[in-house]
Amino acid sequence: MSSSTDSPTLTTETTQLSPQPDTETAKPTKKITLKSSDNQIFEVEESVAMEFATVKSFFEDSPSTDTVPLPNVTAKPLSQVIEFCKEQIKFKANPDEAQKKKYNAEFVTEKSDKDLVDMIPVANYLEIKDLLDVLNQAVADRIENKSVEYVRSFFGIDNDFTAEEEAALRREHAWAYEGVDED
Amino acid sequence: MEGLMEDDELKILPEGCVSTILSFTSPQDACKSSLVSTIFQSAADSDIVWERFLPVDYEDIVSKSNVRFEFSSKKELFLHLCNSDLLIDGGRKSFRIEKSSGKKSFILSARDLHITSSNDPLYWHWASLPESRFSEVAVLRTVSWLEIVGKIKTQMLSPNTKYGAYLILKISERSHGLDSMPSEISVEVGNSQGSTTIAYLRLAREHARKQQMERLFYGNRMEMLKSRVVEGDGRAPSERDDGWLEIELGEFFSGENDEEVKMSLVEVRGHHLKGGLIIEGIEVRPKQY
Repeated sequence: MSSSTDSPTLTTETTQLSPQPDTETAKPTKKITLKSSDNQIFEVEESVAMEFATVKSFFEDSPSTDTVPLPNVTAKPLSQVIEFCKEQIKFKANPDEAQKKKYNAEFVTEKSDKDLVDMIPVANYLEIKDLLDVLNQAVADRIENKSVEYVRSFFGIDNDFTAEEEAALRREHAWAYEGVDED
Repeated sequence: MEGLMEDDELKILPEGCVSTILSFTSPQDACKSSLVSTIFQSAADSDIVWERFLPVDYEDIVSKSNVRFEFSSKKELFLHLCNSDLLIDGGRKSFRIEKSSGKKSFILSARDLHITSSNDPLYWHWASLPESRFSEVAVLRTVSWLEIVGKIKTQMLSPNTKYGAYLILKISERSHGLDSMPSEISVEVGNSQGSTTIAYLRLAREHARKQQMERLFYGNRMEMLKSRVVEGDGRAPSERDDGWLEIELGEFFSGENDEEVKMSLVEVRGHHLKGGLIIEGIEVRPKQY
């Protein structure tokens, strides 16, 4: 059964259908080139690239292209996102919820705080919902019950409030600053 | 296409993502995060975040209230439900959300409890007190059979949460007989028999003085009365922020199924008359871990 997804050869079932190759199943594994903002080239199978909703619609609009420039995505988070999507394709072919959960958990556990934070905008831009869910939850777990200063440095964000604004906010939510974990 | 967008654009976390992340934390974390930066502040105030913190059936609960209130955001509604009691079911219950966790808590008013003989004005009467959140409280004149039972369905509560049940009361200066004998308190879930323990309806400061007198005059009688109920250290009422006293009747886990929880305080073995107790209700609220 698995041959229908893995192999480009037409089976008896598909010969009865229209001669146009089905883009999902029967096309030979086409490679798509993704180019990061720091000019690194990533060759990925079409099925992986189609996990990126943004890339998918790019192809729907201009089907003749084979290189997709991603002018605001750097190589490191992109390579990690590709790694994640490759695994998800395998789970799509052979659904195994327990294994998928385990993989997703390990995927985020072994990443640094910075890796997670850098991947979120990329997953958001490329519209990879599954990955975004996993990343958001992982980040939420890491910042839960931490101090404001910890959260700032976690995300690499500068405090852009004036002293007055900050004082007003602290008063408004005074209860929330009690009992946080040690940084 | 290259160069059309700023290279560093995606280094900034989109506000929508921040909201989603914060919705996976807690109300406390979300409020605290307002202070991180202006993007976080605006994300932390969004309805996406607070919709998730509100109980799933909050609309249903709010619709059971007679009070109509306007709120401009889900956050405002959440904080309103944390900071004030919402009377529901014709004023027989009050509802609140616990601020740090977003979990539900209820107070069943005295009218919503089963209090034996409470409709007989010889034994109990109903009064309106300014310090009560309800229109009426039950005031004990005198009774020998003291039995107070409250029931709540676990489905009304937040699931998979450890709850405590607390009798909210006052002991008047003219009280008598309330702690001559310990009361039996229990919390039962469904058909399973909960464990019964004991409590003394008395004020701690009064107790020390009384104890001395008791030993002096009734030593043996007190020991005999106490031996009729189950062993235990015996709980005593503690003071609440709202000026009432409370005594923990027991605890239970709300789980996922709908079961009836029966919470009670009973003192029927002493056969002596007791009086001077005021009942506000029974509170069911999440226990801190």
